[in-house]
Amino acid sequence: MRWLFSFLILALVSVVRGVSTKGNRLLVVLEDSSEKDSYSRFWDDLGERGFELSFESPKNDGLSLFQHGERAYDHIILFPAKSKGLGPSLTAQNLLKFLNLDGNILLALSSKAPTPSALTSLLLELDIHLPPERSNLVVDHFNHDVLSASEKHDVVLLPRPDALRQDVRNFFGGDSKDEEVIAFPRGVGHTLGNTSPLLAPVLRAPRTAYAYNPKDEADVVEEPFAVGQQLNLVSTLQARNSARFTVLGAVEMLSNDWFDAKVKRSPGERGAAKGVKALKTSNRAFAKEISAWTFAELGVLKVGRIEHYLTNGGTNSTSREVNPTIYRVKNDVTFSIEISEHQLTHYAPYTPPATDSLQLEVTMLSPFHRLPLTPSTAKSPNSTVFTASFTLPDQHGIFAFRVNYKRPFLTNVDEKRTVTVRHFAHDEWPRSWAITGGWVWIAGVWGTVVGWVVFVGVWMYNAPRGGAPRAKKVQ
Amino acid sequence: MADSAVGPFLQGTTGRNTRGLLRLVILCTIAAAAVASRLFSVIRFESIIHEFDPWFNFRATKYLVQHGFYSFWDWFDDRTWHPLGRVTGGTLYPGLMVTSGVIYKVLRLLSMPVDIRNICVLLAPAFSGLTALATYLLTSELSPSPSAGLLAAAFMGITPGYISRSVAGSYDNEAIAIFLLVFTFYLWIKALKLGSAFWGALTALFYFYMVSAWGGYVFITNLIPLHAFVLIAMGRYSPRLYVSYTTWYALGTLASMQIPFVGFLPISTSEHMSPLGVFGLLQIVAFVEFIRQQVPSKQFQTLLQSLIVAIFLASVGILILLTVAGVIAPWSGRFYSLWDTGYAKIHIPIIASVSEHQPTAWPAFFFDLNFLIWLFPAGVYLCFRTLKDEHVFVVIYSILASYFAGVMVRLMLTLTPVVCVAAALALSHILDTYLLIDSPSAEAYLNDGTRADSASSSTVSAPQKKPSSSAASDSLRSTRDPLVGIYSSMSKLSIAGAISTYLLLFVLHCTWVTSNAYSSPSVVLASRLPDGSQHIIDDYREAYQWLRQNTPNDAKIMSWWDYGYQIGGMADRATLVDNNTWNNTHIATVGKAMSSREEVSYPILRQHDVDYVLVVFGGVLGYSGDDINKFLWMVRIAEGVWPDEVKERDFFTARGEYRVDDEATPTMRNSLMYKMSYYNYNSLFPPGQARDRVRNSKLPAEGPRLNTLEEAFTSENWIIRIYKVKDLDNVGRDHASAMSFEKGSKKKESTSKRRAAKALRVE
Amino acid sequence: MAPKRPTTPAARSGGAPQTPSKQPATPLQQQQQPPPPPPPPSSATKPTAAAQSPQQILQSIWSAYVRRTPQRVKLIDAFLAFLVVVGGLQFAYCVVGGNYPFNAFLSGFSATVGQFVLTASLRIQTNPENKAEFSSVSNERAFADYVFGSMLLHFICVNFIN
Repeated sequence: MRWLFSFLILALVSVVRGVSTKGNRLLVVLEDSSEKDSYSRFWDDLGERGFELSFESPKNDGLSLFQHGERAYDHIILFPAKSKGLGPSLTAQNLLKFLNLDGNILLALSSKAPTPSALTSLLLELDIHLPPERSNLVVDHFNHDVLSASEKHDVVLLPRPDALRQDVRNFFGGDSKDEEVIAFPRGVGHTLGNTSPLLAPVLRAPRTAYAYNPKDEADVVEEPFAVGQQLNLVSTLQARNSARFTVLGAVEMLSNDWFDAKVKRSPGERGAAKGVKALKTSNRAFAKEISAWTFAELGVLKVGRIEHYLTNGGTNSTSREVNPTIYRVKNDVTFSIEISEHQLTHYAPYTPPATDSLQLEVTMLSPFHRLPLTPSTAKSPNSTVFTASFTLPDQHGIFAFRVNYKRPFLTNVDEKRTVTVRHFAHDEWPRSWAITGGWVWIAGVWGTVVGWVVFVGVWMYNAPRGGAPRAKKVQ
Repeated sequence: MADSAVGPFLQGTTGRNTRGLLRLVILCTIAAAAVASRLFSVIRFESIIHEFDPWFNFRATKYLVQHGFYSFWDWFDDRTWHPLGRVTGGTLYPGLMVTSGVIYKVLRLLSMPVDIRNICVLLAPAFSGLTALATYLLTSELSPSPSAGLLAAAFMGITPGYISRSVAGSYDNEAIAIFLLVFTFYLWIKALKLGSAFWGALTALFYFYMVSAWGGYVFITNLIPLHAFVLIAMGRYSPRLYVSYTTWYALGTLASMQIPFVGFLPISTSEHMSPLGVFGLLQIVAFVEFIRQQVPSKQFQTLLQSLIVAIFLASVGILILLTVAGVIAPWSGRFYSLWDTGYAKIHIPIIASVSEHQPTAWPAFFFDLNFLIWLFPAGVYLCFRTLKDEHVFVVIYSILASYFAGVMVRLMLTLTPVVCVAAALALSHILDTYLLIDSPSAEAYLNDGTRADSASSSTVSAPQKKPSSSAASDSLRSTRDPLVGIYSSMSKLSIAGAISTYLLLFVLHCTWVTSNAYSSPSVVLASRLPDGSQHIIDDYREAYQWLRQNTPNDAKIMSWWDYGYQIGGMADRATLVDNNTWNNTHIATVGKAMSSREEVSYPILRQHDVDYVLVVFGGVLGYSGDDINKFLWMVRIAEGVWPDEVKERDFFTARGEYRVDDEATPTMRNSLMYKMSYYNYNSLFPPGQARDRVRNSKLPAEGPRLNTLEEAFTSENWIIRIYKVKDLDNVGRDHASAMSFEKGSKKKESTSKRRAAKALRVE
Repeated sequence: MAPKRPTTPAARSGGAPQTPSKQPATPLQQQQQPPPPPPPPSSATKPTAAAQSPQQILQSIWSAYVRRTPQRVKLIDAFLAFLVVVGGLQFAYCVVGGNYPFNAFLSGFSATVGQFVLTASLRIQTNPENKAEFSSVSNERAFADYVFGSMLLHFICVNFIN
């Protein structure tokens, strides 16, 4: 019986496992191995989801992110290091190269440890700005935890974040109907540049939060680094190749103590939260979501089959020619693309948010058509098929059917299929007798021909008689 | 008389057969010589297609042979003019490709499979032999002397003016077009002389073949009506003219409209209005003649004559009105620039930039025609003396061709046939007078000048012959002192000797010119090393082969349009613009990309899906035909479309010089073409001594920096440089910052920024 | 010999062709005569009122034409008139109804124009007065050329009109 029970437990546990779509080699860069134990529940969660963890110190000379030109690991978690440098193999260029080779990075910062210069320059390349002082702390006098930080106010309590925009999926909103709270203990905030479309904040500080330098002796902070919603606590960058980089402002969020600590919110503005009772933090669930998203378990879109064919080319898929390279102007074409979404363990059909839609572009230098791709009614278990039907423009050239779907927190879908659209062939024009306007001239030509034949006949019939007797003689 | 042994062969029917056989042998020898003198480059290098345009014709022929005629007719080429594509089947002259395809198929049918490349390379020499034959036929129609035709054929076979466009490997439209031109003229003269509708129909058929072969068919389209018009104006209207001209016009014009590229041009453009006008005039004149035969009243005739003139002027007026109203298209740019030579440089810089379209320098006439050029006016004068209808044709042809040859170097080609014909007429006249062994006698004079060795029919016009070497004498003296012949052997010997020397020098000159000037494949360059041995520079083919082997099949190459056909033919990659130059805006886009800074060029490159950029750079070798020398044309063409963004004077220094060294303007230094040409050039020299051998200038110590392109290939002598276009930066930076980060310079958070108002982030 | 064969149907058909056989001879004789008679009427009518002369000239032209021209030439002229009518109708339709399939208009109109021109050439070539000009083209040869040219014309026009 016992073995059956453990077998069931194991099976259950395996169901809970996430399966990363990008591989499971996870490197944790941790300078102080004593800290490892205070995050043991986090490692266990990761281990359950199938990751193979390797713990290395940044000072380790043998550490290399690459081997034979390929990535040695699939994901990296960087913990704050006490020393200023990060070691020879963790330079900003190497980390960027890791990102460019499809590796994911989760960077955790802390207000207690100054950020190494390699990381600040890397973050600057990504347009994420850290405070320039070596020590910086995020405090909120209205939204802190009165149980643990009643004096310093440096444990900020936040509700689950809302969706970034109405048409953006929110993976971090939590699914319980009760009120949830996330603790952000002693963290460093950062600001995001305005120009990059690849950045997306996850957790922004409450309206009343600000960042300041605790070493600064003054009583009043004249120029805080950032304030309120401009101060980001957890934000992400998804590169063009869909590699993910998350910046987590407070590493203690992931520690065992804070996974389910009991917190009680301070009274808040005008005493709005007075009398609220103590809650357990949802840091564990939040950590799971953050790590699942960063390590490509959540929010991964996979493109299946892409087909385009003539709408009138045949009813079922075996008789019609799929993905021809050449069409003709004004052909009717149907385009279909199959998209699935990875949801922790399996692929499911993808449904875009209600106000969002996939779009197909038919372009040659500039778009001729921009059509919404509608999900087809036939449902398959793993994917949704989006289709659109249209008429090719009356212009010959080399056209591209492009689906360019880039949304925050979802992998980029940029599929392009090139087709040649040719002109009318010489025998594809309507014949002259099919054009009513030309009948008169057809009659003219054939009238001439018939008249000529008659003329020739009569001419030869009327040939001079003088030649006839001579012909008889010769014969 | 002649030797008794040879005598029987020279008299009577046997004599005629001997002479016919001799003529045949001579013609075959001429054809062989014509073919042989065009084979220099095949022997020296290899059997390869030359230059630029022939590569496209070759590619089209390969397509035709591979896919069949109807696929070729409907061919939409998606490997050129990306992403616009080109309806090639309807925008080329198919005659050349179809001819090669037919020859290919026929040879295969006879189980002699010849590779299509060899057929294309050797087509021009083969047709040049036929051209010599056609010239023989044409000249024989003009002169009763048997030597005139043979001389004309010999001249046409080896004269450099024709060889320049018909060497082995020059697989261009002129290869068959000149043969068709001369042959069509021969058929026209024959039709006019006989007044036969059959010959007129044949003229129309070959005219159709010519229309399918070359855009220069407009020359025939205007020359024949001009001839007819001059004949009418001279009062030489005859029913033969009516029969031959109307048959040619009706059938020829209808047939020419069957070619898709020509389409409805013959009735809607000014270049084709003259045959229509003359056609109408001929109808009127014929009708008037017909009426006149019924009613020969003098006053009626004058009335009718004035009526003709009035109708003619009215129709000319209507034509002009229609042209002004836009119904009939005015002269197209290419042909208009022949009349107004300054037009192209201002309005159509693409036409002006082609080197073949420049005016002819006068040494070119001697270079291409040698001693024929001074026999040419003499021959034309001889035509004036026996002024039959066909001689009027030669006179008009020579005047028109001389004008056009003076305007554009390329049109020396149309002058060459008439020069050969006229020179042959003059020379044969001299030789016929002087090359007689026996002294003339009074009986020979009384026999109306029929010579013993002349087999052609007697001429109708003036039986008197003058010595052509003497100065022009007036008719009065000739009637007083009728010519008998040349008596003195000394003068005969000296003239014969002089003429032979000229002919030998001619052959020497032609062979030398062919060998040195016109046999270069221009894909392969040859130079001499200091020790005299030949050094082959094969950079072009090396680069195209690299492209062919190292880039994906659907890679798009951007280069200047000169190299488009070669890239398509040898490297087999899609190009953005090529030598067809049908879309000026697309070429201007490429010009703008080449002449702007990287931040402006890069979006253009991305928009057009360019993967590689190719430039030609001659600074290492001193090769002066490189892109930096052509750069100003790129700028001019781009300026024509975007005058606000690209300005030519920004590329000149304040003093008006075009410099590439330290004093080059910032626009010049930041332009993509400059950067691509001189990228990494300093590495060839000791620091600070980089030198450009073509422009003869010392380059700045620090070479240009390329952010959006990376060097993919540079050929052995740095003639061709290929760059790969970088993809967008993975984390969204601009390329300049990305490059500095790679080099190690780190961004610093600027402290001053915190004082200024920060840009707030909005989702 | 081939040129003789067209005459055998003439021999078979009977009496009517008899007159054309004599005709090649008569026009030659008649051609000698016409030059003198027409001038007197025209010069005689010239001094009279201007309103009369065009009418009378035309009348005399027409009567002379009917009298003089051989049967064959009249056949050619009838065909020419037919072509003019057909061509004119097509052109009138083009003016009224537009020239939408332009290639069809060109093909139809040019067919009549080309045929007219070829037939006129045949007429000129078979006109005995022009014999000196066409020394190498016999009547039969002219007709063969005419057939060749016409077939070419028809082939091109049918291809053009698609």
